[in-house]
Amino acid sequence: MNATLRLARAELRKLFTTRALPVSFAIAIVLAVGSVIIQAMVAGKNGAAPLGTDANVYQMLKFGAVTSVVMLILGILAAGGEFRHRTIVPALLATPSRGRIFAVKVAVIAGLGAAFSAAVFGLGLGTVALELSAHGIHHLPAGIGSLYLGTVIASACFGMIGVALGALTRNTIGAIVAAITWALFIETVILNAVAPGLEKWLPTGAATGLTNAPGHGHSLTPAVAGTVLTGYAIVLLLAAIRTTMRRDVA
Amino acid sequence: MSTISFHKLTKRYGPVLAVDDLSFDVHAGRVTGFLGPNGSGKTTTLRILLGLAAPTSGTATIDGLAYHQLPDPVRQVGAALDSNTLHPGRSAAQHLRVITTATGLPRRRVDEVLGLVGLSDVAGRRVGGFSLGMRQRLSLAGALLGDPDVLIFDEPLNGLDPDGIRWIRGLLRSPSAQNRTVFVSSHLLSEVAQTVDDVIVLSRGRLMAQTTLSELTARTSVIRVRTPDASRLAGVLMAAGIQVRLVDNSTVEARSATADAIGLAAADAGLVILELSRQDEDLESLFFDLVNQNQQDYQNQEIAA
Repeated sequence: MNATLRLARAELRKLFTTRALPVSFAIAIVLAVGSVIIQAMVAGKNGAAPLGTDANVYQMLKFGAVTSVVMLILGILAAGGEFRHRTIVPALLATPSRGRIFAVKVAVIAGLGAAFSAAVFGLGLGTVALELSAHGIHHLPAGIGSLYLGTVIASACFGMIGVALGALTRNTIGAIVAAITWALFIETVILNAVAPGLEKWLPTGAATGLTNAPGHGHSLTPAVAGTVLTGYAIVLLLAAIRTTMRRDVA
Repeated sequence: MSTISFHKLTKRYGPVLAVDDLSFDVHAGRVTGFLGPNGSGKTTTLRILLGLAAPTSGTATIDGLAYHQLPDPVRQVGAALDSNTLHPGRSAAQHLRVITTATGLPRRRVDEVLGLVGLSDVAGRRVGGFSLGMRQRLSLAGALLGDPDVLIFDEPLNGLDPDGIRWIRGLLRSPSAQNRTVFVSSHLLSEVAQTVDDVIVLSRGRLMAQTTLSELTARTSVIRVRTPDASRLAGVLMAAGIQVRLVDNSTVEARSATADAIGLAAADAGLVILELSRQDEDLESLFFDLVNQNQQDYQNQEIAA
């Protein structure tokens, strides 16, 4: 096995030997399945779209926010945690190549984000199909494939953004609080109200273009949204690589 | 066997000069103590050697190569810098398995080194519940994983109880450490005096002494001589190859010499000796003399500036 593959396996071992990953994955899965069941229960009531309509199915499949936030946190913990717990020291002693360690960490988190979000979406989609078939509905909207792909891309990108933020700040708690505050409050609440034309070009706005129903509101198209979000991930990763390569490890 | 070399190594953090033009070699196959008070630059020097910090200038190499250039670092160098480089949520075995997975070392090495450091019984326990001594042992286990020729330990005795100190001393003198190049830092000479062959003393980032422990021990033997003409006696003893220090007009201190040699040299020169007494220092006093000499020089420079 070559050195890069060994490093990737070690990175996965790090992730799976702490509590953060199983706990956050379990929470995401419960939220995904639970939200489908709740959406099905309230369908057609209080102005909600009737069960089985395109709007109802898309609403039930909005998992992108949950999987993206989970991967953002895991990315921050994977990179920032190395500095918080100073496990970066044995990591660099075993593999004295900062560039390779960083690149492998980014690739592993992106891959994990894609696999995890695909699994959650698949599980949610299966629950939706069961729920609908129980009510005699046997068709799904055509845009589900695009939504599936968008959720996977958004989760992978947010995982990479998390790695970049963790490496830049080296402070897991601070980075998580700042990132969640930005994504769920500053961007989604304040900027969305004040400057909706700008908000859709920002990371959470771009992710919305990927993970919401096709043609949702004033969002970017999935192709543009994917490009914009990938661009943010790349810019932040380049900044993180620059500081990671230069800084002394205390 | 491997040699560690430092050549004109300097590290500056803004206005602070942490390591000042340091040049010395750590000889292969010997246990070398790297001594100096806290803040003297030992850890910074080791971090530069291990590629964790970049030098401002100069080089730090192992067998002529920077750490990141070593073809198989984990099998060539084992380093334990401190016990706070462990994730509290991982078990002892998991911590070591991450290293063996990343480096391709055989899995059986995890059990072997855990047995070697006496942690087999707690291999599955989370590190967060470990005592400082257990964490130190686990750090050392990580250093021993690759069965390397070079071992580098930074203050391995820090915070340990007497049992832990005895254990680490035993490890450094054990067959598993023999025939390796061992470089171990400490802020107290007495901590490592039982285990080291060579001694390197650092103060304020500067090299103050590089010697063998036996030579350093010889330096602690001091003979105080009172005579009516101390300066002349000092000249006579120096001419006889004896290391002397003129204390005042009537007193000379001689090191590394016997009372017989001093008496005979004085008699040959026709000098009267009023008193001749042995006043041995302990090793720690000599160490502090070496360290404080530089600190006094530094203070004098500051006053002059």
